[in-house]
Amino acid sequence: MKSNGVAVVLGILGVLFIVAAVLYVIGGILPTFTSSSSAGPHYKHAILFAVLAVASFVAANFARPRTV
Amino acid sequence: MSLVQALFMGLLQGASELFPVSSLGHAVLVPSLLHWSFKQSDPSFVPFLVLLHLGTASALLVVYRNDWVAIIRGFFTAALAGQMRNDSERLAMLLLVGTIPAAVLGVFLENRIKSLFASPYAAAAFLIANGVLMLAFEVLRRRREHGTSREEQESHFAQAERISFPAAAIVGACQALAFLPGISRSGVTIGGGLLAGLRHQEAARFSFLLATPTILGAGVVEVPQLFSSGVPLGEYVLAAVLAGIAAYASARFLIGYFRSGRLDPYGLYCIAAGLVSLALLHFGL
Repeated sequence: MKSNGVAVVLGILGVLFIVAAVLYVIGGILPTFTSSSSAGPHYKHAILFAVLAVASFVAANFARPRTV
Repeated sequence: MSLVQALFMGLLQGASELFPVSSLGHAVLVPSLLHWSFKQSDPSFVPFLVLLHLGTASALLVVYRNDWVAIIRGFFTAALAGQMRNDSERLAMLLLVGTIPAAVLGVFLENRIKSLFASPYAAAAFLIANGVLMLAFEVLRRRREHGTSREEQESHFAQAERISFPAAAIVGACQALAFLPGISRSGVTIGGGLLAGLRHQEAARFSFLLATPTILGAGVVEVPQLFSSGVPLGEYVLAAVLAGIAAYASARFLIGYFRSGRLDPYGLYCIAAGLVSLALLHFGL
């Protein structure tokens, strides 16, 4: 599915995932969203969201229409 | 946990991780059946399992070292170009798509599911369910086979690189079933690969490639626990090395076995082992 719209949406999603990853590292996300009962850094979640961000950017690049 | 117990657990985990018989199920059942006193709820048990998994993942990296070099190179070239131009690039993207569902489900659900079902009775019951699943995968697969010889039957099916992206995502998500002790990660992914149209050997290859980042990722994330829990690191490392050697031998055996072999023997083993375990647990033997 090659479309600039899809590519932009995936790119935005990637940015949101990066923000989530940073928030998990600095402990800015409440424990409600983790399986741990403690506040503070959640590196496992941070790594997951970083991977999701990379996947989103890769997908965005795939979705971008080729000009050549 | 004594040194002998640690080494035995290393051997057991390494050998059973890649066989479609559930390493977690065996790790829960065997100590209970042997009446070993160590508790799996002990804080040092998780770091121990983490090290064993790192041993297994290292063995898989060694077995598939050439594939991984091509896959990593293929990932970067495909990601930057925004298109897949060869099998390595396609396989890299398939593994990414297959790993994400397992990683999401693992991070958010693994501990909750494991704590719900971490009893020997549940492990034995799920081991029986795993056996039934393996047999069901083969029954469904046989319906699509043609020809008389095994070689002829397998020749109609595809290589790992040809699996579709939705199928790769579903096979990857199936790994989450392995959080239930008794359900085998390699079993459900090999079975999923068979249903997606892969040859037995290629389904096993895709399963092992898919398992590597998942096992390695989980291991690496948990490594800091090793340095904070005051565990006997030397003994644990020795057990991990043993797990790695056992996993390497298992992988080599299974790659050869699945040239013509099927999941049925492992399905029957799981049903028998589950029933015997249930009987032993019930009668307190």
